[in-house]
Amino acid sequence: MLRCTLLVCGRGVVRRLASSFCSESSALPPNLLLPTNLVDPSRSKRPPPPADCPLPLLRSCDAVVPAHLSAVQTWVETLEARGSEPLGWAQLHPDVFAVAPRLDILHEVETWQKNFKRISHANTKIRSEVRGGGRKPWNQKGSGRARHGSIRSPIWKGGGVSNGPRGPTSYFYMLPMKLRVQGLKVALSSKLAQVRHACPPGGRQSNVWQHPAVQRRFLMLLQDDLHIVDSVNISSPDPQDLLHLIREKLWGESVLIVDVGEEFPENILQATASLKTVNIIPAIGLNVHSMLKHEAVVLTLESVRFLEEKLLWHDQRYTPLYPYKLPYSDLP
Amino acid sequence: MAALRTAHPAVLRGALRLYIRAPGPPASAVGLRRVSDAAPQDQTGVPSESTEEYKFVERLVPPSRVPAPPPRAGPSPSGWTPPADAPPPLAYTVRRSRMHNIPVYTDTTHGSRRTTLVRKVEGDIWALERDVKQHLKEVMGTEPPTQVNEVTMTLKVKGHVDSELKEWLASKGF
Repeated sequence: MLRCTLLVCGRGVVRRLASSFCSESSALPPNLLLPTNLVDPSRSKRPPPPADCPLPLLRSCDAVVPAHLSAVQTWVETLEARGSEPLGWAQLHPDVFAVAPRLDILHEVETWQKNFKRISHANTKIRSEVRGGGRKPWNQKGSGRARHGSIRSPIWKGGGVSNGPRGPTSYFYMLPMKLRVQGLKVALSSKLAQVRHACPPGGRQSNVWQHPAVQRRFLMLLQDDLHIVDSVNISSPDPQDLLHLIREKLWGESVLIVDVGEEFPENILQATASLKTVNIIPAIGLNVHSMLKHEAVVLTLESVRFLEEKLLWHDQRYTPLYPYKLPYSDLP
Repeated sequence: MAALRTAHPAVLRGALRLYIRAPGPPASAVGLRRVSDAAPQDQTGVPSESTEEYKFVERLVPPSRVPAPPPRAGPSPSGWTPPADAPPPLAYTVRRSRMHNIPVYTDTTHGSRRTTLVRKVEGDIWALERDVKQHLKEVMGTEPPTQVNEVTMTLKVKGHVDSELKEWLASKGF
């Protein structure tokens, strides 16, 4: 036993001695742990559309973009054809798709979504609710035993619980409307965030960039998990075809497809019905938890227009005179 | 009787005019009708609906968006200054609030602790902090302590300096 432990410790010591003797700057530490969802740097992601892009502009912002900001530009792809070339590019409003990455707001909205529906049904009986225990078990004095008033007091076995959970408890609370709206904007921006001027330390020409570990570290910043698609029509209702398409486009393991409208084409409904990791929701159902749960979020051009209209209205609305369920003259 | 026989026919006619009514305009035009006549029947038999008057309700329903202020050259009589057309060439921007005001607010806690808060900052907030400190040193003589919150992009200054900061930001063109 002692010999085994000495052997094990000795091996570790030897490894550490070896690494300290022959360490170069390019050797990776042996305990390097990288996340498993990093993209292989050889299949690098497409950079954002340049200013002189030959493909057509399919959508520009409806609302006025503030003068000190510029619209975000992204590719518009298609789900029908299997080739991975984009159809064109689109402009997105910076106040929805390029807000500051407020992780605290994301956390607040995510915990709210998880907890506000919770009703905990845990219930225990207190000493007055446990069956029995109304009579004093023995006289106060004379029996030699400790004094007790009831056999169901909390210090007795089988007695009531003094400070246990009491009945159905509701954890309902509402975050302010503007905070929930900001959470959606932050989630959309975080999914879209791309590294515009990715400059590794030392410039592109340095040897440091050739090292795969460094490339992988930089690709962690390249989120690019938001994709715009012209429409949700696909060529076949086969789920495997959809999975091949997603794998070809390198979108990730799980995809959330968002479209506006009450009815969707039959093909996409059949394809996603049996798949657990690919889901389709209407644009009114977009929420922070779903966006964080799925690796990639796919929006159609109509859903982008819908989301921009609804989310930007909150930046310029009055405080409600009466609830927004009742009619106003210019609700989005 | 003898008086009637001997009277002039014109006088007779004038006397009888009181008793003989001349046929005037038809009763229905005046809005009257004889009790013996039946009421006029509605041709359609179904009550008619009209939505013409709903516009009087619609014009009372309030708007939900804050309107853009009418364009003006200088400050208004109340002191409100419009933002500059082109954003100033600085490393930071301070956006207007939804009511188009400069987002500088004062707060008093513990009865005597006065702070001023500058919200809605975008860009290099540290450059704004340097400029604010320099400006307040020129105006007030002392450099008040400031606190920068990079997460919420706000700047807190000790003391009630909201009027100075609002003037300064308006002069910058924010």
